[in-house]
Amino acid sequence: MKQNKFKLNTMLGALLAVYVVVPLAFGGDSYLMSLVVASLVIGGVALSWALLGNLGGMVSFGHAAFFGVGAYTSAILSMQYNMPVLLAMLLGGIGAIVAAITMLPVLRLRGPYFALAILAYAHIFKILATEWRSVTGGAGGIANIPRLPQVLGYDFSTKTGNYLVILTIVLAFAVIYELIRRSPQGLALRAMHDSEDATRVVGVNNTLLKGLMLLVSAFMCGVVGAFNAHYINFLEPEYAFSALWVTIPIVAAIFGGYRTITGPIVGAVVVYLIDQLIVKNMLPQGHQLVLGVVLVAMIVASPDGLLGLVRKFMRKKDAQA
Amino acid sequence: MTELIMQAVYSGLLQGGSYALIALGLALVFGAMKVINLAHGELVLLSAYVAYTVESQLGWNPMMAIPVSVVVVSLASASVYLLVGKIKKNREINSLTLTYGVGVILTNLILLIWKADVRTTNSAWMQEAVVIGPLYSMRSELLFFGVSLALIVGLWWWLSRSWYGRAVRAVASNRDAAKLMGINPGYTELVSFIVAGILAAFAGVALFSYGVITPGYGGILTVKAFIITVLAGMGSIPGVLIGAVLLGIVEALTVTLASSALQELAGMGLFLLVLFVMPNGLFGAARRRG
Repeated sequence: MKQNKFKLNTMLGALLAVYVVVPLAFGGDSYLMSLVVASLVIGGVALSWALLGNLGGMVSFGHAAFFGVGAYTSAILSMQYNMPVLLAMLLGGIGAIVAAITMLPVLRLRGPYFALAILAYAHIFKILATEWRSVTGGAGGIANIPRLPQVLGYDFSTKTGNYLVILTIVLAFAVIYELIRRSPQGLALRAMHDSEDATRVVGVNNTLLKGLMLLVSAFMCGVVGAFNAHYINFLEPEYAFSALWVTIPIVAAIFGGYRTITGPIVGAVVVYLIDQLIVKNMLPQGHQLVLGVVLVAMIVASPDGLLGLVRKFMRKKDAQA
Repeated sequence: MTELIMQAVYSGLLQGGSYALIALGLALVFGAMKVINLAHGELVLLSAYVAYTVESQLGWNPMMAIPVSVVVVSLASASVYLLVGKIKKNREINSLTLTYGVGVILTNLILLIWKADVRTTNSAWMQEAVVIGPLYSMRSELLFFGVSLALIVGLWWWLSRSWYGRAVRAVASNRDAAKLMGINPGYTELVSFIVAGILAAFAGVALFSYGVITPGYGGILTVKAFIITVLAGMGSIPGVLIGAVLLGIVEALTVTLASSALQELAGMGLFLLVLFVMPNGLFGAARRRG
């Protein structure tokens, strides 16, 4: 009971910090704020990737597809159909779901085959965005994508406004993730880790559940992609479907621990800031080399992430005390 | 029109040779270790850049780069094996992320060393036209098609006749039983990685000799190799060769009949078609469905 209260207090404290203290303290530094917003974008993608990996047991190298489709859907809806930006962002998520539905046949494939098939899909969507010029503007891209709107007199198109929106999106997704994890379906999904056959025997339709996780993950990634399109106001296929939208989130999720909910988000902020502030200065070109090294080192040393390692250490300490 | 189509089919056929080498490497490692090496395309690309360096720095024919490429890429491939071997749990999933990371490392190393520019051979000897009846090709295309066929026959001989080749197949079909027969699975897996590296080295020099290379090409090569194994179903060498030639021809026909921008999309379309209609591949056994 006491522990629960403590948990609640730290959570409220953390919320206060991220919603009030961060904007007040760093709101004036627009470079730093833009880094933080970008790292939260990565965090959102990393969260959606980890959800699929943790609950669905699937490693995806195709999340760039969801990110790009979400971005393009939202940009096109808000520009050519004059849809309100926030609604368009939501529909960007729906667009990513549609993209994921076309991938469902891939679920028949297991493990490595699934991973490669979804990688192939990401290529397809990139080519489509490049070649379908009448809708997507082709390789030249789309410029002047509308910014986030004013709501109740507050202008969300500022750096701080963008920060508050992406923060809310990521936190909302974290809550949804937790709710799914706690639901009976979440229990079944976690049981599938231990034995897929056993869960099937007790009547769990695991293909259906895995498919649903793919759709949920796609939706989250799509909304984040849509947000990013309105945040930077520009889209081109090379950018929207870039492999970076897969690489950095994977590194972040593995770094922070993809079996946890906070891990991918914290990992994204840490990895992205280190990459941008330190590594990029030392290696302007090819600085992702370091990302690859981190990924390989993490998989070899501690595939459950640094947070997992720390937690294990803490538990040991607790047990000793 | 018929001539154009004939020409496209011929070019695609020649391209299929190198594709087959790449796909066979991927399939060999997967067979022996149940690991998909997502950095396989990058290994091929590494070899291509070694060939570029040998040509541009020493002024030699890219063919001369083969020994260097074989050494470099085999070593790189063996290092991938050593890293994969270090994975403690859940190897099937973790090896994907790990080899993906290796791919990122290799792509960026290539970017750092050789810059982002598009590279192609300057060797006039390689680019000289060879005419067979109504069909044209570059000398390098024909040459490396022959080399690929020879390597594939060699691989077939190795897998079916030699002790190590048989050991690889034994480990692939039943690891525990192979152990009981006195086969060291770890060593066998290393051998399969090295052989895959050798095949990749030849394929890389071939790609450089008749095509263009950029640092980002590796990932696409891995996907192509995967598409071929989906077409073929794993485990059959003739199947992989046919799948590779099929992919080459479909790509070449798309370039001729539609546009070069759609080249990759055609391969993907073929892949999806097979996935939907014949999920076990054109020649494969029902192994990859879960």
